[in-house]
Amino acid sequence: MEFHGPSTVEEAVSLLASDEEARCLAGGATLVAMMNADLVMPSALVSLRHIEELRGIFTDSGGGLRVGAMTTHREVAEADGLAGAHALLSDTARAIGHPAIRNMGTVGGSIGHGDPQADYPGALAALDAAVEVRGPDGTRPVAAEDFFVDYLETALLPGELIAAVTLPPPPAGAFGAYEKFARVEGDYATVSVAAVVAMEDGRCSYARVALGSCGPTPVRAEAAEDRLTGSALDDADIAEAAAILREECDPVDDVRGSGEYRMMLVEPLLGRALRAAAAKGGAR
Amino acid sequence: MSDYVSPVGQGIPRLETRDKITGKAVYADDMSRPDMLFGVIVPSPHAHARIAGYDVSAALALDGVVAVVTGEDIGDHKIGPFIKDETALAVGKVRYMGEPVAAVAAVDLETAKQAARLIDIAYEELPAVFDTDAAMAEDAPVLHENSGDYIKVFEADSDGNAMAIIEIVEGDVASAWENCAAIVEGSYETQAQCHSYMEPCSALAEIDSNGKITIWSSNQSVFHVQAFTADALGIPMSKVRCVTPQVGGAFGGKMEQTVQPAAAALARATGRPVKVTLTREQDFEMIRARHPGKVWMKTGAAADGTLLAREVRIVLDAGAYADDSPGVAGIAALFCRGPYRIENVSIESRPIYTNKLRSGAFRGFGGPQVAIAGETQIDEIADRLGLDPIDVRLKNAVRPGEEWMIGVALNKAGLSECLNRVRAASGWDEKRKAAPNGSGRRRGIGVACIPHISGVLTSGAIVRILEDGTAVLNTGAVDNGQGSDTVLVQICAAALGLDVDRVSVATPDTDGSPYNWGTTASRVTYMAGRAVVAASEDAVNQLKQRAAIMMECAEEDLELRDGGRIGIKGVPEAEVGFRDISGFSHWVAGGPVIGTNSLAYDGPDFDPKRGFLRGFPFGKIGAWIFAAQAVEVELDEATGRITPLKIWSAHDIGKAINPTAVEGQIQGGIVQGLGYALCEEMVWDSGRLANPSFMDYKIPGIADVPPQIETILVEDPDEDGPFGAKGIGEPPIVGIAPAISNAVAHAAGIRLRRLPMTPERVLRTLKE
Repeated sequence: MEFHGPSTVEEAVSLLASDEEARCLAGGATLVAMMNADLVMPSALVSLRHIEELRGIFTDSGGGLRVGAMTTHREVAEADGLAGAHALLSDTARAIGHPAIRNMGTVGGSIGHGDPQADYPGALAALDAAVEVRGPDGTRPVAAEDFFVDYLETALLPGELIAAVTLPPPPAGAFGAYEKFARVEGDYATVSVAAVVAMEDGRCSYARVALGSCGPTPVRAEAAEDRLTGSALDDADIAEAAAILREECDPVDDVRGSGEYRMMLVEPLLGRALRAAAAKGGAR
Repeated sequence: MSDYVSPVGQGIPRLETRDKITGKAVYADDMSRPDMLFGVIVPSPHAHARIAGYDVSAALALDGVVAVVTGEDIGDHKIGPFIKDETALAVGKVRYMGEPVAAVAAVDLETAKQAARLIDIAYEELPAVFDTDAAMAEDAPVLHENSGDYIKVFEADSDGNAMAIIEIVEGDVASAWENCAAIVEGSYETQAQCHSYMEPCSALAEIDSNGKITIWSSNQSVFHVQAFTADALGIPMSKVRCVTPQVGGAFGGKMEQTVQPAAAALARATGRPVKVTLTREQDFEMIRARHPGKVWMKTGAAADGTLLAREVRIVLDAGAYADDSPGVAGIAALFCRGPYRIENVSIESRPIYTNKLRSGAFRGFGGPQVAIAGETQIDEIADRLGLDPIDVRLKNAVRPGEEWMIGVALNKAGLSECLNRVRAASGWDEKRKAAPNGSGRRRGIGVACIPHISGVLTSGAIVRILEDGTAVLNTGAVDNGQGSDTVLVQICAAALGLDVDRVSVATPDTDGSPYNWGTTASRVTYMAGRAVVAASEDAVNQLKQRAAIMMECAEEDLELRDGGRIGIKGVPEAEVGFRDISGFSHWVAGGPVIGTNSLAYDGPDFDPKRGFLRGFPFGKIGAWIFAAQAVEVELDEATGRITPLKIWSAHDIGKAINPTAVEGQIQGGIVQGLGYALCEEMVWDSGRLANPSFMDYKIPGIADVPPQIETILVEDPDEDGPFGAKGIGEPPIVGIAPAISNAVAHAAGIRLRRLPMTPERVLRTLKE
């Protein structure tokens, strides 16, 4: 197996494009574990560790956010001053694995694996994020919802890598909350809910909700968000929104819980996420 | 006067802690020998199949491969602690997916792994059974067709896939029911639990020119390793020497064979040192687990809460080979009555062969499978009779001076004290009185009691006084990380009147150590500790004998003085130090001081007149230890999650030789008990283990453990124990699941009878 440590994205892309069996090595939190278990045997590893432009968290003048693909979960978790709903990204990063994993794992590595049980996908979907993809033909933005294609499958084409995730400016007055239910601390979610909510005079004026571990990709339902918008987020509103979301779910049975149980969790976790997000806005 | 402080009762740090923290500690896989090869084991891909043939030519042709061994090469040498029913590599048949079939040694690990994939074994698949109900069906495929020919070390009936039938009958259950004011009855199911020791199984074997094999391995008894390796290879025990580097946890999982026979077979085939270390996945699939259990139980009590009768049927899923199953089934049968006086019992316990990973010893050893039944039934009885659960337990708790359990005399029993201490510390009476809070998140508190033993089988000790008057202790007891080396050194130092840093501890080595049955059954402090005290006293007597020559006096006039001196009674200034005595004995007269002791557990036995006991595979057992545990929980009614808020754990330990180590044992056992109660479960999909990794099999982490675990040490010295000490290893794991189940019943009125109590199972029960 060959090992490459390029210092530019262009070099990395050309290495990846020249060898279909090559894999990007980001933090290694998932890939190295899979290699140790003989699940993947890449012909070459292209480490992205030395590519400076893939690191860091930047806010642009318009209020949009750019998080480099090689930014670690810990860096995201500890990012100060993320505006309004953008702080949901930090909340989500804090829920990933354990300190050792958060020190190694990266945003790009996590979403590039395309695991619907991971924490970031739902948060990115709820934040209307885009994934900045770089390849032999240059840069293309892919909306988070289009990026996650199927279980362990993303929109990345051969030779492409993830350069960053970008968030539009936070919706006015909105705040986010991440509600994760797992068997033990640090496990993948049995079900997770990422919610972004704005409240005005006790009524919900903006709602974005995405579920994790409820299907092959993050689950969103505009009809559910429409049902919540304008409501007071009372029990009936949440129950009806949950029912709409459940229609979109296609969860698996596995050691983390049966599909049926995951469906039982949607309503209570949705309620907790929405109310936690609403509470962050205080008495608006 | 001496400012000597006895090391007994001091919570000193472990002797090996600094090495472990700095990474200096050496485990088997850290070792390397000149010219060493790497071995890999080939697992069976089938749950039940006949082996039709081997083709190892492609593997042998691979560059760097030195040897391949199969069951045909090592021969049909059967091993097993209770029933000799398996071979180190499968011969003729495989009986579970993951069973070792062949092994290969190569110059590096990558080559060995590649060669393992090239070994071609032809199988003819056979019908398989994956649970005990299927295995007990009339037309079930039989795993061991020739079980009648197997050597058994105990007397028991067997029946098809039931390898043993253990029965205990006392009094007359049938006629006792009519005197009962409350009778409860239920079926309970428990899961397979993985030992989850941090260090996967590993062994390094090397052979000399005389054919003597030395094995460094992770284990719980070098003497077991010596015995089963010699058995497995068909060679004399004098041709096997077993040594132990540091061990990264065992919990019962390393009590019998792991990879030592395969490593030894490869060393013999190659003439070179061979190291075999399992991956975590292989360790999950190949070694052993806690028995899944199905228990039916019925308990009856008089109106005042006096327990009158209990009837129990225990079925344990033993997996493909007997291993320690007869022992576990026997202990389950013994302990399923709980630590109570019950005059009428009728108990039957059956370990059943199935086509899955073997089940074996695991902390608690049959106790956890029956405690969830027994201890929740006590609460149900209390509930029916309108009594407090602790009051019912106190009414029935065994007391010192009584006979119980088939007429065994009980000299000491601190159970009532444990219950009283837990009641006071937990604020039990207030919390039980509190009206259940409203829906959403409910709180409750529950309790459970545990009986166990710490005296069984045999141990020895050698205490040598070195030329300078310091000492070296050799017991052959393997420290699995629980701290027994430290505790035994404290005992030895205290018995000699020395400081701990004046006593060295020898590495267990079958060529030089006295026999110790094993680091198991909560027995090392009690059994090896007794041997250490007696061997130290023997050494002191020899020191007195030498000192008597030096001081020209009678031995009877001499006394041991703190700090390593022998003096004449009543004459403070007349004394000699160990250094002078040892110099004298080494170079002038008397000979080197070598104190020794050898003992077999010698406590009171069962009384055959008091009950019927058949198929129980141990001889004398005892040095009874008791415990009471309480857990306060919060139940999230929306998700079904149970969160333990605080735990109180009181233990009748005789005397804490090292209170810090005792508390560590209690806390560790409780965390493992939380995993058993709430989240740990090995799941099979037909014959395939579905979650052989720590990604899919989850043990509790630090954030899953309540911030407060209050340990309560009840110290009433045992007459025979070293400085009064008894054991502590196992009881802390046993009561957690039933205490939580009882707490949930208190919180929400539901009865959980299946482990683990996952949020999904709880939520479904809540919605029923």
